Amino acid sequence: MAVTRMQNTLSKSHVMADRMATVNRLEEVVSTSDEFDQVVSQALPILLDRATGYTKRFLRETGQWSDDIEHEKFALRWGSEYLERFLVCGRSEVPCRPLFLFDSLVAKQHSRPEPFCYHPDLLRPLGRFLDGLVARAVVSRDALIALYHHSYGWGAGDVIAVTGLNGLESQRIYKNFRRWRESGWQRTIDEVGLTKAELAELGNQQQRHRQRFNSDAERLIRVAQAHYRKSEPDHYPCLSRSQWGDMFTQGYGCDYRIWHLALCLDCMQTAWGLGSSGSLTGEKPRLELQVRP
Amino acid sequence: MGHEEELDAYRSQLLESLNSRPTIRGVSDPIQVYVNERRVGELEGAGIGATLQVQCVDHIETIQLRAEDGTLLGGLTAPECGYRTDRVRISADTVELSVHNMAQGGTLSALFTPAPSFWSRAWKSIADVTDRVVARRPAPAYGMRMVAFTQALLAIAVVGLVTDRITTGRTLVRTPSPVVQTATLSPAPVADMARFEQQLDELARMQAKVDDALGSQQKGVVQLQQAMVKLSSTQESFESNVLTVREEIEKRLETVGRETDRQTRQMASRGRVEQEQLEAAIQNLTADNHRLSKEVVSLEEYNQALKSKLQTAVASASKAVDPSPERLLKMADSLQATQQMPFLFWVTFSDGTSQESIDKWVHEMQGHKGAVSEGWQEVRILPPAVPADRFLEQVRGEKIVKAARISQ
Repeated sequence: MAVTRMQNTLSKSHVMADRMATVNRLEEVVSTSDEFDQVVSQALPILLDRATGYTKRFLRETGQWSDDIEHEKFALRWGSEYLERFLVCGRSEVPCRPLFLFDSLVAKQHSRPEPFCYHPDLLRPLGRFLDGLVARAVVSRDALIALYHHSYGWGAGDVIAVTGLNGLESQRIYKNFRRWRESGWQRTIDEVGLTKAELAELGNQQQRHRQRFNSDAERLIRVAQAHYRKSEPDHYPCLSRSQWGDMFTQGYGCDYRIWHLALCLDCMQTAWGLGSSGSLTGEKPRLELQVRP
Repeated sequence: MGHEEELDAYRSQLLESLNSRPTIRGVSDPIQVYVNERRVGELEGAGIGATLQVQCVDHIETIQLRAEDGTLLGGLTAPECGYRTDRVRISADTVELSVHNMAQGGTLSALFTPAPSFWSRAWKSIADVTDRVVARRPAPAYGMRMVAFTQALLAIAVVGLVTDRITTGRTLVRTPSPVVQTATLSPAPVADMARFEQQLDELARMQAKVDDALGSQQKGVVQLQQAMVKLSSTQESFESNVLTVREEIEKRLETVGRETDRQTRQMASRGRVEQEQLEAAIQNLTADNHRLSKEVVSLEEYNQALKSKLQTAVASASKAVDPSPERLLKMADSLQATQQMPFLFWVTFSDGTSQESIDKWVHEMQGHKGAVSEGWQEVRILPPAVPADRFLEQVRGEKIVKAARISQ
């Protein structure tokens, strides 16, 4: 017993020493990109904990923190997001001291207005799913196209018809769907930390209380879309039906249509039927959330 | 699973994904370009030398390159002010990023260069060697082209021969067993091998030179790119200035035109009013003139009537008094003339009368002083209303007058 305790103590002190050494190394100047990669890759857990700690502190200071697993996961998710950006962009900052550069990057993110989409309901499983989906759609075209499926239950053909795309763009839509089904969806679920049990529960809720489920989803997706649509190009605002009509008939603004209509429920209602040359004459689309790809 | 365990599992999962960061970008998939975490466009993944130029109103802070699935492929942190270039390797492809932050906004230039294929590399090497050879020999342009063409043909022929040898060699390798192959090796192939080795060494040297040349060329391309970005930003600012000036001129012209128009309208309306007033005045004058001419006519008629009446009266009077009407007329005329002639008389004043008093008296008489002769002062006045004798009596009654008489 005493031997085991001693072994644990030794192991802990060894870990502490390693950790200190890594932190010291991060505080030293690195001169090349390769050296940066090497030093940083050895310190990923330390940097992740550091970013998570900063995010927790930010949430506490802004009155958005609660001591529960949802908030812990939220802080971890954003810590990981900052670390990913640091890994890629930090290389171009050499020579630098990685630890200080990382701190400055996180501080810069937190100094922005609304650095992330926070809403208490978005921390519950349904909210996490929607937040993760829309956040991913901002950086991934696969997720963006898949958003049409998750919001309205459409397939690639429907998306092409609704957005009025031409042949070349259509091929790309099929590819986006395929990649999303193969890996994109799972990756997004992993990123937001949804467990199998939570996914199963979402499926149950959808089956048992379909209307309430969709109504909750619509309310939450509006919150998420309003936040993440800010990452669209500045020149992609909401349009009137006649303006959408001009865009569809004259065939310009392909990117505009794809990006904006996926991220705006209201504009989807406004522009409904314009891209299909009259083939989509049914009722305007309502949110019918699909959990699976 | 407890919360701690769930959290640990989640943390491990995140760390694992950070460590691996798999990229499943297809060969022809576009690369999404983000500036300050906003999507600004994409680079065609299949295109050779696909470029993207972005001009931002705000400062550029970060640039991110992402695959279609959202994987962060590369990025760059922009300097607060000035240039920064970086080459991001994505598998074998390369994206040259060049960012320039100015006092007002920033510009980004991204150039996608796909990995060159074996044949394109070989062809480039040959072309490079040809260029060098041609460059060393100064000759007329036509001659240079001919030499280059001949050398290119020669190079293709050499490459063809080498390929043929390799293919033949492979065929030979495949058919007999290794033992037989060793046995059948003759001195001739050994010599060939030595030659090949020599050629390979030469090729390696050439390759190194080509790499150097490519490196310098890429540097040149980057510099050119920067210059292009600068030029395009200057041009854009110039165009915007021109546009602003043009709009300003149009606005001013419009304002001036509007003002001129307003003034013209005002003047026209004022002119119309004045014209109307003038017309009215002319009409009034015409009417007055007409009325006056009528009055003149009527007055003339009346005058004529009076004249005829006078003549009649004179005639009747002459019939009654004097049978000669001519004489009567003459008398009337002389009477009229007498009435018009000034009345002249002479006065002497009492002693001690001042000149002032004399002048005052003459002025009261409405008369004029004439000559002075032997103490007598000539005075001319309008014919008095009373007879001359009586008038003289009145004059003599004046305080300052001593004596008065008609004749000198």
